[in-house]
Amino acid sequence: MVAFTRRNLLQTATIGTLMGALPAHAADDGVTIGWPSDVTSWDPNQRFTPDAQSIFKAVFDQPLDQDAKLKLVPHLITKWDMAPDARSLALEFRDDVLFHDGSKMTAADFRYTFFERIKAGHKVDIAQSMRKVTDIEVLSPTKAVMHFDSPAPTVPVWLAFLGSFIVPKAYMEKVSPEAFALKPIGTGPYKLVEHQMNARIVLERNDAYWGPKPALKRVTIEIIKDPSARVAAVQSGQVDITTSVPVREVTRLKAQPGLVADLTPVTKVIILQVRNDEGFADSNIRLAAHHAIDKKALSQAFYAGAAVPVSVLGVPGSPGYLEDFTFGFDPELSKQLLAKSGFSLDKPAKIRMASTNGQFPSDYDIARAIVQMWKKVGIEAELEVIEYAKYFELNRGNKLPEATLYTFDNATGDPEIYTGYLMNPKLPFSPWKDMTLGQKVIDQFNVADEKARIAGWRALNKEATETGAAMPLLQSVMTVVRKKSLELTPYGNGWILPQTMRWG
Amino acid sequence: MILLGTLGRRLLAAVPILFVVSLLLFVALRVLPVDPAAMSMPPNATRDEIEAARRDMGLDRPLVEQYGVWFDHAVRGDFGRSIHLRRPAAGLVGETLPSTIELATAAMLVASVLGLAGGLLLFALRDRPAETIAETGTTLLMSVPEFLWALLFIFVFGVALQAMPFTGRLDPGLQRPMVTGFLLLDAVLTLRFDVLRSALVHLVLPAIALGLAFAPPIMRVLRASLLDTYHEDYIRQARLRGISETRILLRHALKNAILPTLTLMGVQFGFLFGGSLLVEVIYSYPGMGNLMVDAVRNADLPIIQLVGLTYCVVVLTINSLVDGLYLVLNPRLRAR
Repeated sequence: MVAFTRRNLLQTATIGTLMGALPAHAADDGVTIGWPSDVTSWDPNQRFTPDAQSIFKAVFDQPLDQDAKLKLVPHLITKWDMAPDARSLALEFRDDVLFHDGSKMTAADFRYTFFERIKAGHKVDIAQSMRKVTDIEVLSPTKAVMHFDSPAPTVPVWLAFLGSFIVPKAYMEKVSPEAFALKPIGTGPYKLVEHQMNARIVLERNDAYWGPKPALKRVTIEIIKDPSARVAAVQSGQVDITTSVPVREVTRLKAQPGLVADLTPVTKVIILQVRNDEGFADSNIRLAAHHAIDKKALSQAFYAGAAVPVSVLGVPGSPGYLEDFTFGFDPELSKQLLAKSGFSLDKPAKIRMASTNGQFPSDYDIARAIVQMWKKVGIEAELEVIEYAKYFELNRGNKLPEATLYTFDNATGDPEIYTGYLMNPKLPFSPWKDMTLGQKVIDQFNVADEKARIAGWRALNKEATETGAAMPLLQSVMTVVRKKSLELTPYGNGWILPQTMRWG
Repeated sequence: MILLGTLGRRLLAAVPILFVVSLLLFVALRVLPVDPAAMSMPPNATRDEIEAARRDMGLDRPLVEQYGVWFDHAVRGDFGRSIHLRRPAAGLVGETLPSTIELATAAMLVASVLGLAGGLLLFALRDRPAETIAETGTTLLMSVPEFLWALLFIFVFGVALQAMPFTGRLDPGLQRPMVTGFLLLDAVLTLRFDVLRSALVHLVLPAIALGLAFAPPIMRVLRASLLDTYHEDYIRQARLRGISETRILLRHALKNAILPTLTLMGVQFGFLFGGSLLVEVIYSYPGMGNLMVDAVRNADLPIIQLVGLTYCVVVLTINSLVDGLYLVLNPRLRAR
């Protein structure tokens, strides 16, 4: 028999109050996700935000999709046929797709999204990815033809990439783009129920979804920007799954009962962006700098060995990657190359280097390690920390130093979006201004034949590394921690899709 | 009348201060080595497109002209659009300000209760061996910054004890009612006591983490002020009249000693708003601090400018209110 004393009553009350303070565990038909950033706008065409892609893909649909291995697959578009000159693209759409308000999705919505909105002057980022589109001819509710002013071989890829989500023409014209962003509707597997900026997003299953029905009825996305708080949230069970936790925490959380912690390579590359002038004008110094970097050691030290060393701008398995080409770690060769240009340990080559601190995991530590590696062969680098926002200003003004540590994500894996953007002197990402290589890169954008296109990018990738114009370092990794009983489909580009989640 | 007059004068004096602050903020933000135009464009935008965006945003015009345009729009209530979120800055700040006010008020409540109680305790322990221990305790409280308290509480109450929620403002299953934007008030107005309970529980850790660091100065000022007051003749006379020590402390000394403490609390409330930045990020609290951190990261100048001005308005308003309260509490000031 239990004796009710004042003390044990108080204890019971205290424990009861505290236990009651915790949110109830997610029901079997729901999941709570700890996500590192918020959606910038619910107009999915408006901003290219890689972090929001997984959330957008729950509410909206893209014309084409990528499977878990990143292969382009049909989605709202069932068939696509690029003309041999890559100046037009014939499309066929599903006829059973409904927006969340019950209206039917047709080719007219596709035209509105990818042509009419841009012509109407809506401030949407897809204006840049669809800049070659001169018209979209609607042949029937399920057929359309895209027309381009110049070869546009990567448009199908872009139809499954950032910002390319079909929005409802009739609804948006009725309520205005601003109102749409406050109360959006898509054709996706979930409907948006609630969004509180910088706090949480609540989604509910769209039971009229045309595709496979999601297993979970309700998805709550808690926006937790602080990495330590995300770790604590998953460890305490306040969220069921989270991502982008510090690498060192993955090892620790792996040992926790009931949790699974994964460290998987994704389509993001960590690179050194280089100039073609100043201290890096001499290719011997650039190549010496590249040969002096022990990428495997960087991976071991900062990514528990999970980040794969890369030799070209791309990731293993992507079409532009060269599996049989390796740019080796060879400090002796570095010294010889430097000696050819009159430098040695006693008379080091002097360069400047920039890195962000905290923009991606261990960025500044990697930069410091590289500076030490260079020092051992006769390159003295002055390391400067820059803010991510300052990177753009410096790059625009052609003021980046000889080497800048940077990370670049490309969920499609297409080589144009790696090499084309990182080495095109006309685009804002390239500090490499030499037009010998630059013109080849620009010309490669217009190659229509798919085989020739991929072959061309592969050749350019090799040339960029061999001439010291590019210094790819590592394939970056993504960290995911989840409850053991929560299953989901892992994607090679890091997407974490609620519609693939289920409780085991 | 005197009170209203003083408040009116204070608020009038705030106008030129606001003008100067807006000018300083504007100039400081424009000379920062960041490129808002590039930040506003997608990664595949060409240099020409970025230049066009710069012209659209007026960033190619002389600084004086830029400020003139901004000021002209601002006096009409248009504070520009967020570069990153592409929504009106005023709407975004208006959406997040209520949460920060609720957090800062709760934190101020924590700081005040702890500060006043601690101040009285420190005073009671004067000239005793325990005084040193208590003073060391206040130093310790003061030396731990709010973000460290925040992380520590998450570890202790969230992870180790698993007793308190530490993300967001509500449990996953609850939907927030929307009337005024103040969640606690809205929960009461809509009689959603489940929401009220959840919101209060979610407020506990961030409010204590934020308020804790601000309590020790209140303790110390109150203690020092009480020590000074106890040298006054009327305290001695009260003792001679046989009034109990507790009554002397609470009814006589505290009344006068609280005035400098009140000034400090006003200043602290202003600092509390600034201090909420990191606490809001750590607790995923949807307030203005969280908005500001994102804005700084994305070089979102219109948001930084407006949040900066809002902080200034809040501090000026609090100072005016404290001055008003001073008049209410101190009749001698009203006579002047």
